[in-house]
Amino acid sequence: MTQQLPRLSTGVPGLDPILGGGFVEGASYIVQGQPGAGKTILGNQVAFATASSGRKVLYVTLLAETHDRLFQSLSTLSFFDKAQLGSRISYVSVFQTLNKEGLGAVVDLLRKETKRQGASLIVFDGLLNARDRAETDLDVKTFVAEVQSQAAFVGCTVMFLTSARTHDDSPEHTMVDGVIEMHEELVGLRTVRRLRVRKSRGSASLGGFHQYEIAEPGISVFPRIEAALRLPSVSDQPDLTPLTSGIEGLDVLTGGGLPRGSTTLVVGPSGSGKTSFGINFLAAGSHKEPGLHFGFYESPDRLLSKASALGLDLRRAVDKGELEILWHPLTENLIDKLAYRLLDAVAARGVKRLFIDSLGGFERAAVHGSRMVEFFAALTNELRARGVTTVATWELRDLFSSQVSAPGPEISSALDNLILMRQVEIGAHYKRLLSVLKVRDQSYAAAPQEVIIDGHGLAISGPFEEAVGISTGLARPLGASSS
Amino acid sequence: MNIVVAEDEFLIADMLVVSLEEAGHRVRDAPHGAGALRLIQEERPDLLITDFMMPLMTGLELAEALRADDGLRDIPIVLVSGAQGLIARERSDLFDIVIDKPYRIERILEALARLIAKPID
Repeated sequence: MTQQLPRLSTGVPGLDPILGGGFVEGASYIVQGQPGAGKTILGNQVAFATASSGRKVLYVTLLAETHDRLFQSLSTLSFFDKAQLGSRISYVSVFQTLNKEGLGAVVDLLRKETKRQGASLIVFDGLLNARDRAETDLDVKTFVAEVQSQAAFVGCTVMFLTSARTHDDSPEHTMVDGVIEMHEELVGLRTVRRLRVRKSRGSASLGGFHQYEIAEPGISVFPRIEAALRLPSVSDQPDLTPLTSGIEGLDVLTGGGLPRGSTTLVVGPSGSGKTSFGINFLAAGSHKEPGLHFGFYESPDRLLSKASALGLDLRRAVDKGELEILWHPLTENLIDKLAYRLLDAVAARGVKRLFIDSLGGFERAAVHGSRMVEFFAALTNELRARGVTTVATWELRDLFSSQVSAPGPEISSALDNLILMRQVEIGAHYKRLLSVLKVRDQSYAAAPQEVIIDGHGLAISGPFEEAVGISTGLARPLGASSS
Repeated sequence: MNIVVAEDEFLIADMLVVSLEEAGHRVRDAPHGAGALRLIQEERPDLLITDFMMPLMTGLELAEALRADDGLRDIPIVLVSGAQGLIARERSDLFDIVIDKPYRIERILEALARLIAKPID
């Protein structure tokens, strides 16, 4: 029978799941990364979280920087609590002890101090300095081994923070139970921070890189959702009754509405009515089926004005709590952070109608385009399992194009239903057109439909007049001569 | 004056020792409270300047040990501390002067001048 080891929560959002549930109590970890990667912030954040759970922490430094300078920079982070200093967290410098008496004396001091304080966690900041002092690698190995075995003896967890580039086969790595690597690197023009657990004894960790950010609350890690939500977090309970699309005339074409829990992709060029489609969809929400607008383009105010110009009052729905509008401008975003914001907002209000405008916003935030298939699959599986009916947009590049391009595999693998919207030039007029190209598990009418704005948002007025070349946007009535 | 400094952070300890020596004092220092207590027992200094958070024995514990010892109880104690100034000020039975970190070295020298001018009885 497998056994769960007792855990010490790191208190760092997102880090516990990556470690398979937190640190193993009494185990030792190396946290390594270049200066500036955030090791000291991580060490202190874990220290304060441990202290605020009522346990004692020993923060041992070998740094040249004074503790007051450290407190000064930590005081800009919200987890820092001055009241814990000297009561639950003791900061001690062993620099002088190391210089005057050597590593053996430091080991001895740590043993006495751990016992004296009754510490549950030791953070040892500056292992590189210990290596400088050691005549050979063997000394640091002995040091790490002794510190961790005496800590394990009293059930105390140890974090060794180091800027040294230790290798897989370095003696320290073979000694400790886990290694966390923190990186800060440039991708194109932007800085990307990511972290990975290289070794994790006694736990199934989430492998690979995970992005993190350093902000006022400290470090937050965003486990890649395709790894964290390999399977949906809840079990799928399919409800087969369709959900009304909110667009007059569309439900009859799609077999009664949109299948509940499905993802509908509305593709079309700019100006074809995709956002209006979503506004209609959200306007059909209620307190039983709360809505969420997750957008990258319009600010909430602009979106509400747009809705009222269409003749739909979303402001009332917002005021009554039936609709939430979350706006993430297309500036620098972290793709997984966006996904968690979305899923958290869905879970918080039990959202049933979700409009994402557009999926391209996630793609733009991605540092590695090659993961989009898995990313969208994990996201839509989770939404489906939570019973959320999703409408998402995808922009086609050309207003008019002789080639009708299908969305790429990154998108099409995740969608259930596909709707194409276009402006079509016919005769001397522009008309709006909507075609249902696919509805999963429901029969649908595939003929192109004309779309009008009738004072209550979008509506379908009937089949588009018979013409050729409709899907390119440049149509000719049937029977007209081609010049 | 003979002074013992108890301070685990070497930058601060170094600076204190150098400045006090320049001001004409004789100074010994220890990286933690336990080392300082041994020094005090050997040296019988005129003054102790101590940090609060230190390994093996905190400044508070060191002060308590001095006050409990008939031979050492009269040594004036200056506490220099970042976060524990409040705790320390409630213990005027232990500390003669409490100085908050970060501080300028002049503050320590001024404090010493005051202690010398007004001997503790």
